[in-house]
Amino acid sequence: MQQLLQLLVNGVALGSVYALAALGFVIVYSATGVVNFAAGQFVMLGTFFGVAAIVQAHFPIALGYLAAVIGMALFGVLFFLGVHLPLRKRPVVSVIIGTVAIGIVMQNAALLIWGPWPARLPSPFGDTAISIAGAAISMHALATIVITALLIAALYALLYRTGIGRSMRAIAQDSEAARLIGLPVTLTLVVTWALAAACSAFAGLLVGPMWFADVNMGEPVALKAFAATVIGGFGSVQGAILGGLFVGLVEILGASYLTSTYKDLLAFGVMIAFLLVRPQGIFGERIGDRG
Amino acid sequence: MITYLKRAMSLRIACAWLTAGAAVSPCAAWAQQIPVGVTAPMTGALSLTGKGYVDALKLAEQDINAGGGINGRKVGLSFQDAQASNGTAINAFIKVVQEQKPDFVFLTSYSTQNVAVGPEVLKAQRPAMYAGGADIVAEQKNPWMFRIRPSDGLTAEAMARYAHEQLHSTKPGILYIQNDFGQGGAKAAQKTFAAAGITVVGAEAYGQNDKDMSAQILSLKNKGADSILLFVYPQDGALLLHQIKLLGLKTPVVSSSAAFVPAAMQLISPDDLQGVYGVVDAMLTSQPAAQSFLKRFKAAYGVDADPYAAAYYDGAMMMAQAMRTVGTDPVKVRDYLRTLKDFKGVAHIYTFDAAGNGVHDVSIVKFAPGTKDMQLIQQITSK
Repeated sequence: MQQLLQLLVNGVALGSVYALAALGFVIVYSATGVVNFAAGQFVMLGTFFGVAAIVQAHFPIALGYLAAVIGMALFGVLFFLGVHLPLRKRPVVSVIIGTVAIGIVMQNAALLIWGPWPARLPSPFGDTAISIAGAAISMHALATIVITALLIAALYALLYRTGIGRSMRAIAQDSEAARLIGLPVTLTLVVTWALAAACSAFAGLLVGPMWFADVNMGEPVALKAFAATVIGGFGSVQGAILGGLFVGLVEILGASYLTSTYKDLLAFGVMIAFLLVRPQGIFGERIGDRG
Repeated sequence: MITYLKRAMSLRIACAWLTAGAAVSPCAAWAQQIPVGVTAPMTGALSLTGKGYVDALKLAEQDINAGGGINGRKVGLSFQDAQASNGTAINAFIKVVQEQKPDFVFLTSYSTQNVAVGPEVLKAQRPAMYAGGADIVAEQKNPWMFRIRPSDGLTAEAMARYAHEQLHSTKPGILYIQNDFGQGGAKAAQKTFAAAGITVVGAEAYGQNDKDMSAQILSLKNKGADSILLFVYPQDGALLLHQIKLLGLKTPVVSSSAAFVPAAMQLISPDDLQGVYGVVDAMLTSQPAAQSFLKRFKAAYGVDADPYAAAYYDGAMMMAQAMRTVGTDPVKVRDYLRTLKDFKGVAHIYTFDAAGNGVHDVSIVKFAPGTKDMQLIQQITSK
């Protein structure tokens, strides 16, 4: 029982990180139709913004986290202006290749700036563990779950309770029609990329104390977030969340009760099964149903 | 007029000669260099330790050339990035051999890459030093390959013997990285335990990119492991030591050396090292021969050298001695190294055996309570 509780908490915490990273995919895809293959590097960069602020510049942790999120949001804006905007009239595959290329640049730039040695990002909750029913539960893991839930609630409120959220959803359905009715499409896209980058920053800052920050951490996160998005459904916020939690739990529980050697096979095997049987994912909409 | 023309012509000829001389000189200097190839992970997940030995080899190059080079000729290193996969390691080796035509090559410290590159080394017929520890590399009986670190078999045997004989473990568990190194170490440890009549309660694996090993750790805990042996790379080693403590385990841990290189130690807290023992290549800080190297490395690169860096530095010095003695002919250098005995390096005293293994000792260490200060417990030499 103790072990199961520990595994469940770790699995949900891990899944929360994947969910946040998957939200970064979904937010951008919904508004632009672009799959951002640099999403994993956004997470990595968010972690290193935290390292720069807290470990190198010695900001207080709370201020350092805030600075990292704001810094990543600004980076998202720059990414939109530098990568998406110049390529937006090209075929979508050109933009996708652009994101792949920029992802490689980001990873190598981080290597040049911060070097190959990983860094330990401190958690606001330290290394404290509490005992629940005899199981040692990390405070940071619990906090990751709570913070992710709050962020998702905030995101939901933004998308469904605010004007900018309505604009984002309108542009996601049909950007030309949105432009014709006078919605500020470009401004909304700026907000979209900033929001996606901020989600990635949160993912990076939450996972950094658990995994250590290193310039190669982006790819594994991106792969699992991509699997989560496919399982949950591209374009679906609920799908990204459920998919992320599912992948995290499969990874941890599968490694414990089935096989640690082939645990990745479990999550990616489920992704492949979805692609074959239900490619739209659990919540994704079929294109024929849109607009 | 004629005198003027003669003077002008002479001047032009002199200028042309000087220019040609200046153009030829660098080429001539380059042609005098002894080309040495290096394939090391300079980017990617394995660059964590790769950078260390790249820097150590550059320091060795400086020292060799400052000491007169090899019989008057300077050594010139050429680097190719082996990155993190076998394919890139092979490509890097082929590129350095085809483009630089080196007389000697240094390979990476990753067994899985060493195994993959071995056939190309055989084709190229160049002496090559490597630092991957898996026994399978030497078992390929490649006469051109020389190991400059202790083999994993020796390390694993030392780890298992210490757990059994000193920690009195009767139900050991093993946690290993899923590749040639980890699998080899786990098998060697299981064999040593079996020889003592002990069955391992569980052997759990994790992938190179895995970050959460709580499932594997808890599995061993559930199976009643009274000691845990770790076969790890630096970053995941640090992560495992941290996660073991976070999950509340107080089980003694015996880890392979990568978890204690400086790049990993800066990630670990003193609490993470409670109850942890290490089997390291060498405790450099306690070796008089290593002090000058450690100081100069730190001064040059701003970080502490690890045993891998020290091993490659020693490798370069052995290469230099070989070339000074027998020349740069690859066959002669190979044959010289195969008979080299008791070479005093900064990390070890090297003697190459028939399988090309040059190091036959490891050190067992622990940490002073509440600190990260490494303390030598004993040195173990293979029988």
